[in-house]
Amino acid sequence: MTDPERHPVAHSASSDQLLAFIQFLRGKKIPVSPADTLDAIEAAELLGYSDRNLLKNGLAATLAKSSHELATFENAFDDYFQLASNTPAGASASEEPFAQPEASQNLSPLEGNIPPQNNADPLEGLRGNALFDALESQDESALSVAIETAAADVKVDEISLFTQRGQYVRKILDALGDEALRAAAIEFEQSEPAAFEAVQALREQLRERVRDRVERAYLIHASAQTEDLLDDSLAKLKLGNIDHSQMARLKRLMERMARKLAARHGRRRRRYRRGKLHVGETIRKAVATDGIPFQPKWRKIERKRPQIMAICDVSGSVAAYAKFLLMFIYALQDVLPRTRTFAFSAALGEVSDLFDTLPVEEAIEKVNLKYGGATDYGRALNDFSELALAEVNQATTLIVLGDARNNQADPRLDLLSEMKARAKKVIWLNPESARLWGTGDSEMLRVKRHCDVVKECNSLNQLARIIDQLLSDRR
Amino acid sequence: MSTSDYPALDELNAIQTAFEAAGYICTTRIATVIKLAAALEKPVLIEGPPGVGKTELAKTCAQVVNRPLVRLQCYEGLDESKALYEWKYGKQLLYTQLLKEQLGDILDGAKGLSESMDRLHQFGDVFYSEAFLEPRPLLKAMGAKAGSVLLIDEIDKADFEFESLLLEVLSDFQVSVPELGTINAESKPLVFLTSNDTRDLSDALKRRCLHLHIPFPTVELEARIVASRVPDLSQSLTDQLVRFVHAVRALDLKKAPAISETIDWAKSLILLHAKDLEGGLVLDTLNVLLKYEEDIKMAEGQLPKLMASAAA
Repeated sequence: MTDPERHPVAHSASSDQLLAFIQFLRGKKIPVSPADTLDAIEAAELLGYSDRNLLKNGLAATLAKSSHELATFENAFDDYFQLASNTPAGASASEEPFAQPEASQNLSPLEGNIPPQNNADPLEGLRGNALFDALESQDESALSVAIETAAADVKVDEISLFTQRGQYVRKILDALGDEALRAAAIEFEQSEPAAFEAVQALREQLRERVRDRVERAYLIHASAQTEDLLDDSLAKLKLGNIDHSQMARLKRLMERMARKLAARHGRRRRRYRRGKLHVGETIRKAVATDGIPFQPKWRKIERKRPQIMAICDVSGSVAAYAKFLLMFIYALQDVLPRTRTFAFSAALGEVSDLFDTLPVEEAIEKVNLKYGGATDYGRALNDFSELALAEVNQATTLIVLGDARNNQADPRLDLLSEMKARAKKVIWLNPESARLWGTGDSEMLRVKRHCDVVKECNSLNQLARIIDQLLSDRR
Repeated sequence: MSTSDYPALDELNAIQTAFEAAGYICTTRIATVIKLAAALEKPVLIEGPPGVGKTELAKTCAQVVNRPLVRLQCYEGLDESKALYEWKYGKQLLYTQLLKEQLGDILDGAKGLSESMDRLHQFGDVFYSEAFLEPRPLLKAMGAKAGSVLLIDEIDKADFEFESLLLEVLSDFQVSVPELGTINAESKPLVFLTSNDTRDLSDALKRRCLHLHIPFPTVELEARIVASRVPDLSQSLTDQLVRFVHAVRALDLKKAPAISETIDWAKSLILLHAKDLEGGLVLDTLNVLLKYEEDIKMAEGQLPKLMASAAA
């Protein structure tokens, strides 16, 4: 980029491209604030755009805020600059297949790839048409700039659907002035077959480039939106219905939701710790300093340490939901107060330890293996009472996850009501739709009376909302 | 481009050479971030598993730029009186005693309460003044005349509120003392924060920092590190050792051995006059590398495989 003529264009194009890249990163769920953007631009200016690795390292330092963001960033950087390397500012224009390095630097003389018939000059009439000249002389930079400008004019970055590609290609071609070339081609078609061929070949080349540009826009902008759409619908779907192939995505989504909740609620954790002045203690401390109270002592606001006990049905019908509740709870370990988890289908046992020592997935598998079977709420509640009821107090929130279908056995609601009396709150989450409660062997309507809150809970969104609620009224 | 206060950190190659001379092998990524930190005057947040040289990076940096290193070790309950400043209570107390004795002279001949108060007000208020201020690490770093290197170690161990306290220091290089007003840095320090990722840091803090993630090194890099730290160890033994450690890291361990442990191991091999990495020797010294009984057991079980990959 030594040519002074070219420099300003390339320069502003670089930072434009950086902005476009940041947009791309946001699509990949890396949050980049305007301040980060400024930092990134500053860093890029300082390091220059010519060394791709250097630029990558510098941008990573300003844009990727954690190790998982770093991994995403690195992939995104490689993807993006692979895709975007056709534009004039791409640091590696040489990778571009039909770039001709000399052509892009000095406005080159006519290249030989135009059929020789052009001496006969039916094409002369077209010379002077900027688009035609650029195509004929293979002027990379002029073409790229023209395409970029046209692309910006028709707002190709707003592309959101795969099927819109053709439409955008058309729009860009129109904006470029392809119409004139087309008219000329039609004119030549009968009279000058050679000139017709030449023009059509150039037009085809142009179309190819525009198509590339549109596809790039689609990949960069629309694929991010498609991701959003997919995530959105996944969060709304019943967890039990989600196909196994979507599990990885679902897990990512859940982790992201959990991180969000953790960030929101972690902040609140100790805000109101300090209470009023503790006069007595302050005076007692002041004895050492001749009665002058140097160190004010404050009362601590005493808060009972809250506790959550989650009791999950892990029998076949509900297992999928239990898995997600448990995963959510453990993803939130940092902000949730002391948590104890119990699993049952017939017998009930505490599984907190499993989660402390094993990765979540493994732990859940173990839980299923150990406690899975035919459901018996009566027995489960009885086991729970023996195991942990003594530790349930006014600071305890009990969460029960289950469909309350008890195969006609006695659900021991007396135990549930005792739990309710002792606990701060009993929340029953039922993955079944509320319309089905009370039908068949469902005891839900009776269970409802002994709980503080009953909620239908079968999608990730509902789950997140409930946990958000739980964290909000903790105080 | 030498607009920064730390001209030693202007050029990437110069950084790498200087760090290497100080015994720290730094990758281009690390060098880039350090250059940016000096040029953009931004703190660097270093993350990565324990023992990859996060703290060491800050120490070496202080050595390279030849400025004092001010270190603040974070822990739960760290507050401003330990991180920022504290009043010298004892001296303040003496001062009040002095004042009491002088009071007679000052108020001599004053009529009525209001006149006495006026006189008292004329008397300079030195009770809360810099003379009675005891600087703690953050304030000390701000006060260093020719700049300094501030290392805030294991920021993830500190409480959430402490992060907010740091924001002012990190973005504006200033400290507010309510009784005195704002104290600005004499010369902007280079700031390093390290985190072991035990919890998520606040977005506000992250936003103000450059990010550097140091992973476990590659075999080649670690061999260079060991060679620079333990030069007495023969080349072939160094290679074997590093390959062995890498194979160990691939196991499912409670705590993977860090670079510092590789170096310790290399040193112990020297003490034992080892010529070659062989089974019995490895068994005897495995406890330098691995810190949990279960991990050692597992490595012992896999020994033949590990030895094979070390020899490769």
